[in-house]
Amino acid sequence: MQPMAGFDLRVLRKALAEHFEAAGYQPCEPPILQPASIFFDSGEDMRSRLYLTSDLSGAEYCLRPEYTIPVCRFYLDQATAGSPAAYCYCGPVFRFRPDGASEFIQAGLENFGRRDREAADAEILGRALGAAHAVGQTELTVRLGDAGLFSSLLDALALSPQWRRRIAHGHAHEKPLDRVLALDNGKSLDHDGVLAALAGTDKHSARALVEDLLSIAGISTVGGRSVGEIAERFLEQAALKSNDGFPAEKRAILESFLAIEGDPDDALAKLAELAKAAKLDLAQALDRFDARLGFMAAHGLDVKSFQFAARFARNLDYYTGFVFEAHEKARPDEKPLVAGGRYDGLLKSLGASDDIPAVGAALWVDRLRREPSERAQ
Amino acid sequence: MTNGPLVIAVPSKGRLQENTASFFARAGLVLVQGRGAREYRGRIAGLEGVEIAFISASEIVGELAAGTAHMGVTGEDLIREKIPDADKKVALLTKLGFGHANVVVAVPQAWIDVKSMADLEDVASAFRARRGERMRVATKYVNLTRRFFAAQHVTDYRIVESLGATEGAPAAGGAELIVDITTTGATLAANALKVLDDGVILRSEANLVASLIAPWSHAARETARIILSRIEAEEAARTTREVAAQLDDPQDELFNKAEANFAARLRRFGDDGWATFSCPNEKVAELADWLISCGAIEVTVAALDYVFSATNQLHKKLLERLG
Repeated sequence: MQPMAGFDLRVLRKALAEHFEAAGYQPCEPPILQPASIFFDSGEDMRSRLYLTSDLSGAEYCLRPEYTIPVCRFYLDQATAGSPAAYCYCGPVFRFRPDGASEFIQAGLENFGRRDREAADAEILGRALGAAHAVGQTELTVRLGDAGLFSSLLDALALSPQWRRRIAHGHAHEKPLDRVLALDNGKSLDHDGVLAALAGTDKHSARALVEDLLSIAGISTVGGRSVGEIAERFLEQAALKSNDGFPAEKRAILESFLAIEGDPDDALAKLAELAKAAKLDLAQALDRFDARLGFMAAHGLDVKSFQFAARFARNLDYYTGFVFEAHEKARPDEKPLVAGGRYDGLLKSLGASDDIPAVGAALWVDRLRREPSERAQ
Repeated sequence: MTNGPLVIAVPSKGRLQENTASFFARAGLVLVQGRGAREYRGRIAGLEGVEIAFISASEIVGELAAGTAHMGVTGEDLIREKIPDADKKVALLTKLGFGHANVVVAVPQAWIDVKSMADLEDVASAFRARRGERMRVATKYVNLTRRFFAAQHVTDYRIVESLGATEGAPAAGGAELIVDITTTGATLAANALKVLDDGVILRSEANLVASLIAPWSHAARETARIILSRIEAEEAARTTREVAAQLDDPQDELFNKAEANFAARLRRFGDDGWATFSCPNEKVAELADWLISCGAIEVTVAALDYVFSATNQLHKKLLERLG
């Protein structure tokens, strides 16, 4: 069956907007034409999907591929930037998709500047799911994850900086742990001599050694990375090498952690159990997790029906805390109707002087438009 | 367009043009360029129904992708870079043995701790964590770079498009590393860059490429058959030699061994005891040695001008891909 015609789309968009505005979210519709460079830091995958154009001066523009960055920039331009503000939007976005329409409607919410993060997380989830319900999508499976909990675990495990970075990077891209830990580039044969010479030395002598190596090899131009950075990486590798791979007990903890899933309350109990057994201090992160569930219940959400998975990260490294996705029950393997999460680092990377708390959600209106009868097929 | 000519797009300048012209000439196909206003159009001497378009290498890719040229000569690097889902739009019929170049990932030689793509993944993510910015990769191969880096899990980078002298970008501070073509690696070395051990994205050379989108009329297919059979005949002649020997006691077993060990195919065997084989160039000396050890008194080797065959593999390949 074809999607509903334009009239229905208008009704749907109106219903979503009314729902958001009734909750106090202020409409924010940034221009469709945006400076292309603001999306370049979203990674090459996003960049390869942009519809680009340029003006007479050669300045590069694109059709907005998403709303979050333009809405963040709008917020930062306000005199009140930094204090709490809540925006909603609904309109077309443009992203090259080889297997579908490259212009589609996205609706969503962004909530900035609230220090009561867990309450804001629960509110975004409640409003986003509420909007989907309001337009007839009542049969949803909701998946939760928590990037903040994972980074607390990495802190508590006191890993070397290199392993911490690799594991966090792997987690954000949902790369299986055994493949992350198998990364063995600290043991490149040609470096054995260097690494042995570096074992146990300090930054200063490592730097001197790298400088000597470069001058012996007759290399004078150092592009991009400083001698200090190169020396530091050698030191990290030397440390990894002398440690003979990734510590087995920490690996076991990571594996048990990533295997935890289930309804959020049960998962919380399992997480607490793991922390206790492994003698890891996760109290603060677990309290926040618990508080968030409380706020969800206060929003009238049926927490028991949600699924938490510790490994769930939405395949993006931009989230710093709570993440979620909602799928149609009948189509669990298809792309989500609603998704979102907390991204406390983004506003600073867009020019804010400090981290500003931010949490948001997006709804794919084309997917919301599917009729129940179509869903049943 | 059903009765339009078969359009073949060839490079209009430089060494690629010379190499392409001599490639066709070897196959007995002489490209004749128009004069004056017709400078960019031409024909093949003595062959009707063919139009040669002399255009730049990157335009050739565009015409093949759009189906405005039926066949063209261009590098595989450009095909893979400029045509999304290239295998659905064009068929690489045969490699031409010139225009060799590798598309590679190269980093400053000073990065003595970086040898592999895994190192690069690690260093790129550390770079971003430390500076809040992504490492910049200068290249004109934007799509090849994105595909290769994604497959290698390198995500913390940003492409800086470069239209010339890419190898100078790291020294000039315009990028941290590059993806570029190299033939000998000398230019990279002169710019204090090195290729990563597993950083070869593509080993490219000039190819004869057919567009699958072009209007392949019956006449166009027939003209293509004639051209491809000549190309194949020349290629077969160039890569094989005719080896003849007089043998005392020729047995089937000997012929089988010649085929199995030297890829030498028996062409003729006469009552006078002379056997003639066709043998790949690189096996000729070994085959001659072995034939003498089997009792041949003399072995002669001759080059052939053309080897036409009833089975035209190139044309068959084209028809299969056209479906």
